[in-house]
Amino acid sequence: MKVKNDASSLIIAAEDEKELNEIKLDFLGRNGKLTQLLKRMKDLPEERKPEIGRLANEIISTVEDLLATRGEELRGEKKEKIKRAVEDITIPGVKPSLGHLHPMSQVLFDVIDVFKGLGFQAADGPEIETDRYNFEILNFPKDHPARDTQQTLFLDTRKSKATSGETILRTHTSTMQGRIMEKIKPPFRVIVPGKVFRYEQTDASHGFEFWQFEGYAVDKNITFTNLMGTLDYFVRKFFGEETKIKFTSHNFPFTEPSLEGYVSCVVCKGKGCSFCKQSGWVEVLGGGMIHPNVLRNVGIDPAEWQGFAFGTGLSRLVILKYQMDDLRLLTNPDLRILEQF
Amino acid sequence: MLAPLSWLKEYIDVTLESNKLGDRLTEVGLGTEKITKDKDDIIFELEITPNRPDLLSIIGVAREVAAMEGKKIKYPKAIVDIKNVKPKKVLPLKIQTDHTINPRFTGMIIDGIKVKESPQWLAERLIKIGQRPINNIVDITNYVMFELGNPLHAFDYDKIEGHVLKVHQTKGGEEFKSVDGVSYHLPKNAVVISDSQNLIDLCGIKGGENSGTFEETKTIFIRVPVEVPNLIRRSSQALGLRSEASAIFERGVNAGGTIDALQRCVDLVLQIAGGEIASQLYDIKKEEFEPWKLSVQTNRLGKILGIEIPKQKAVSILESLNLKPIARKDEIECTIPTYRNDLKIEEDLIEEIARLYGYNKFPKIIPGGEIPTKTIPYFKDYRLEEKVKNLLKASGFSEIYSYSLVSEKALLALDINPEKTLRVDNPVSIEFEYLRPTLKIGLRNGLLQNKPNFEEINLFELGKVYLGEDLDKAKEAYFLSGISNSKSFVEIKGVLENLLEELGVKQDPSKNIEATEEGVLFEVNLSEVLEKLSPRKKYLSIPKYPPIIEDLSIEINPKIKYGAIVNVIAAQSKLVNKVELLDEYRNKKTFRITYLSRERNLTNEDISPIREKIIKAMKANFKATQI
Repeated sequence: MKVKNDASSLIIAAEDEKELNEIKLDFLGRNGKLTQLLKRMKDLPEERKPEIGRLANEIISTVEDLLATRGEELRGEKKEKIKRAVEDITIPGVKPSLGHLHPMSQVLFDVIDVFKGLGFQAADGPEIETDRYNFEILNFPKDHPARDTQQTLFLDTRKSKATSGETILRTHTSTMQGRIMEKIKPPFRVIVPGKVFRYEQTDASHGFEFWQFEGYAVDKNITFTNLMGTLDYFVRKFFGEETKIKFTSHNFPFTEPSLEGYVSCVVCKGKGCSFCKQSGWVEVLGGGMIHPNVLRNVGIDPAEWQGFAFGTGLSRLVILKYQMDDLRLLTNPDLRILEQF
Repeated sequence: MLAPLSWLKEYIDVTLESNKLGDRLTEVGLGTEKITKDKDDIIFELEITPNRPDLLSIIGVAREVAAMEGKKIKYPKAIVDIKNVKPKKVLPLKIQTDHTINPRFTGMIIDGIKVKESPQWLAERLIKIGQRPINNIVDITNYVMFELGNPLHAFDYDKIEGHVLKVHQTKGGEEFKSVDGVSYHLPKNAVVISDSQNLIDLCGIKGGENSGTFEETKTIFIRVPVEVPNLIRRSSQALGLRSEASAIFERGVNAGGTIDALQRCVDLVLQIAGGEIASQLYDIKKEEFEPWKLSVQTNRLGKILGIEIPKQKAVSILESLNLKPIARKDEIECTIPTYRNDLKIEEDLIEEIARLYGYNKFPKIIPGGEIPTKTIPYFKDYRLEEKVKNLLKASGFSEIYSYSLVSEKALLALDINPEKTLRVDNPVSIEFEYLRPTLKIGLRNGLLQNKPNFEEINLFELGKVYLGEDLDKAKEAYFLSGISNSKSFVEIKGVLENLLEELGVKQDPSKNIEATEEGVLFEVNLSEVLEKLSPRKKYLSIPKYPPIIEDLSIEINPKIKYGAIVNVIAAQSKLVNKVELLDEYRNKKTFRITYLSRERNLTNEDISPIREKIIKAMKANFKATQI
């Protein structure tokens, strides 16, 4: 009798069909409690068998009835639930848990996408670099004041064969000009995103680690106007069709002539605001025609081939695109930031 | 570089409104960072690029404005002809110099001066450009440096012991007391001047304590040198000591400008401090420092820039820059003044023409021609990275970017030996000294930082780690790592299994997962995984024949691993296509086995011997029995 009561209370409490099925197996399955009970009948004295047998069969049929009734009830409840949910479509959806891609990744993939459309292939290279690729090949001689613009982090060379001062963390992605150009012949179009390092104190717009990307193209007739056209196309694709670009003269040791590119402020659209310091313009790019010395250094004849190179802070593009006010937000793992993207 | 408008106007008519002038200066390469009103004057704050030492002077900036506006410069007029002066008396001074460390040494003695406060106009100009007036002599030398771009130094002649000036290099370790009373231990090979007793000048950087001008100074020797850029730069860096003069010298001073600077200085001294010239003109030099010729081919001009600038326009631009262009048939030949030592190759002239023509008048044209298709060295398929990141995102993980540089403390917390980790010699702080060999540091920090605000935290990073105990063994690799305080070991394993399956890589990720106090961490060497990437998926036809599915329940020692049982079942026949665990309870496990043939219909006759084999194998391997 106890088995019957146990079963009844469980059946009534069952909240869905799955649970109900489990109860059924527990009592009526091959190894179920009631089944076992019936099996033990053969050990009973002959005279008690009919009585107990009848009782057992009665219990089994009661449990089966209960199961059937509760089953119907549950199916009804489910239908009711479905009906209710469909009737009130304003009930919030149940979302599967979804994470977030860091804004840097999103911008990185956007940038690669834009340049892919112009036939540029993406490359990736080492962050631990030699003075040669970071400076010498790029026409930054030793003891040249231009090196001051890129304060360097030097690696500890003890315990190794490397010469102190020669192995560094790359200060720009331009290292990949030498690395790639010395291995292939023109024509080529390349972009290189990557992390770079500087000996620099951190504040809202500076850091000792940040992301850049580099682009360059060499062919027979790649011109300065092509550089301007490429950068103009990029900023309009990346920041939006209405974005304007303007250029100013600048100096980099590895390009001649050189330029800097400014885009119309993404916040005020060029009217002037605190974000662009009232100027309406934000400086984002640097570039120029690859210096003949650089081409010679990688074994390309500057009389036959010519090309442009440019670079920009990928971190800076992220900041501008999303109007963030501090570079350090990009390395902050706070989900309240990450969940916005 | 600070340039007051009133000072510029001394040499050139400025008609442009100051904001317009700032924009134009920026456009031609003198980045105007700030324009400030100063009483009735306007100060331009300019960013000067390292190739243009000439722009560290007011006259240099004025020359740029002249070129922009097509105007002429009025240079200060010489009063006394210092080249042909016949001094009434000549004071003795012996100069020993060395051309290799001091290419030019120009100078002159003036006797009978009176040291006093500078006149108001002079003091005010210096204050406007952020300089503190000291006395008339020091102020005049400073003024001339800022005006013309050649640094000068005035020595008190009576304090020069033995009336000898010897230019030489240091051995290293010498003590030097500067004019402002600070002591320095000099590095090796610094260029200095000694008299017969003492070291009195650290050339190109700072004057010595006894070498300046003082209230009682009556006679001065003015020196206008040309220094060797890298010698000045090395000493200045070794000492951490910079000055306006060292900035000019390390960029390369106008070697042809020493006499003009001396001329201007002598005129101002005589006019303001009185006295008379008491020596001939000293001008000790290794060469004449003459202007040089440089040509630009007209077809190359168009080929590099991509637009045709009319020859006449190019000539007039070069003319406005005082480069004395002569137009020939296919080229324009220029004569470069010594103050433009940045103009050395044809491309430099192309830039001059382009920047003054106006970059914003250029058309913007996307490169034409064929797109190169050859795969470049160091090519990286970023689509894979995108796929990996998106899969993690879809599994509920949010992406972080953390610093590559970490602290010793952070390494020790993970039991990583800092001695066997790559290290930076000059870290910005001890927080960022070592190159991370794992991404776990950033992820743990991320988890802890988010704890107060979030219950469920799932973070991942795909980034570089730096492996190897020392630089010889250094290797950079991309790791994919994550942390979770809400997902179980098997859930994370499932995420990684999905990922590997998606990439088509057969690998068991169990060993990449680690349960810690904070949460479950995983770390995969993604660079290695991507090397094993299956190149291409190949279509396998849909099975034509139906499978046979059977359940097998066994009693087995619960300590025996699931993986081992599945492997044994699968090994019994090629027809076993799939084995899943349906149910387990204590020592009972139920497996669902799918049999499938791609060639024919399976019958019970095919399956029963396999079934028997499996049951036997269970017994033999695990002492398991069927139930």
